[in-house]
Amino acid sequence: MTTRAIAVPLRRKFHNSSLAQVGLLFLVWLASDGFVRATHAPVPSGIVGLLIVFLLLSSGKISLRSLRRGSDWYLGEMLLFFIPAVPAVTAHPEFFGLLGLKLLAVIFLGTVAVMNVTALTVDLFFRMEARRDGRD
Amino acid sequence: MTAVTECWNYPLVQAAVWSLLTIGLYLTAKFAYRRWHRWWQMPLALAPALLIVLVWLLGESYSRYHDAAGWLLTMLGPVTVAFAVPIYEQRRLIRRYWAVLSIGMLAGSATAFLTSWGLATVLGINGALRLSLLPRSISTPFAVDVSRDIGGTADLTAVFVIVTGVLGSIVGGFLADRLPLRSALARGAMLGVAAHGAGTAKANELGTEEGAVAGLLMVLVGMLNVLGASVFSLFR
Repeated sequence: MTTRAIAVPLRRKFHNSSLAQVGLLFLVWLASDGFVRATHAPVPSGIVGLLIVFLLLSSGKISLRSLRRGSDWYLGEMLLFFIPAVPAVTAHPEFFGLLGLKLLAVIFLGTVAVMNVTALTVDLFFRMEARRDGRD
Repeated sequence: MTAVTECWNYPLVQAAVWSLLTIGLYLTAKFAYRRWHRWWQMPLALAPALLIVLVWLLGESYSRYHDAAGWLLTMLGPVTVAFAVPIYEQRRLIRRYWAVLSIGMLAGSATAFLTSWGLATVLGINGALRLSLLPRSISTPFAVDVSRDIGGTADLTAVFVIVTGVLGSIVGGFLADRLPLRSALARGAMLGVAAHGAGTAKANELGTEEGAVAGLLMVLVGMLNVLGASVFSLFR
């Protein structure tokens, strides 16, 4: 029995398991969180973890196949993890009234403005670049 | 009845029941939205609405709910890590269009900051509440950090983030059909910069390129705003 005979099926199993890959992402996050707490670095733990994984992928230390299923699952179900924050409004009865409507107005109008500005800016510069590339 | 009440008061029972309810409502809403595609069936709209009704009907407090199901919020931390994969996969797109995307991101962030501050001031919303509104375009894990740094209230910011996500996904779908946009880049940037996670989920519905750009810009805007907040808190 060589190590290869054990490692190959194990790796294949890992490539097919979203759960194991989610576990790996979680471990990376735990490690970066520990690092950020210990060093008091002024960066969110998630960003540190993102950089670590990006560097591991770029340097070929870890393959895309060992993380793709896990990240697909995580990003696909991301909204679930936002939900438990919403019932916080029940702790703020003052929001169920004029103040709540005002806050909704700020958020709605602000979001519409941000969307228009971002989309039109990106599209404008995208067209400018495309035109320049066309001439070259 | 007393036996049930007593049982209900065990932290472990609370945790199991509220966690399963939260996950169950999320899955139900997700199924309904996939099947019928009504805007109010979006998981981020329907599930929290039903949860609020449940918390209220059972006479529970938010802090008790938070103690029981709050661990799900912790799971948002590793989500940022998971974004490394699509960003790595789209590295060519990013290298090609980094200038365009940066300009869009800066323009969007500046607009978010100015409109939140301006509109809040006009409507007479001041103090910590106004500060809590500022980071609402960023996804929760960053937004909560930023809010704390600039003197906002973290749990209020989390709520504003989610309302922004829900409204943004609805408005974004509408705008994507109506604005004269030539590129998937613009549609993705619009949703990622303005409506973070929920917007990114919507962008994934539009297409893979839209989804990747949205995911990338959501993370980058988050980082930009974390930097911006440290500068802002110096001058406050």
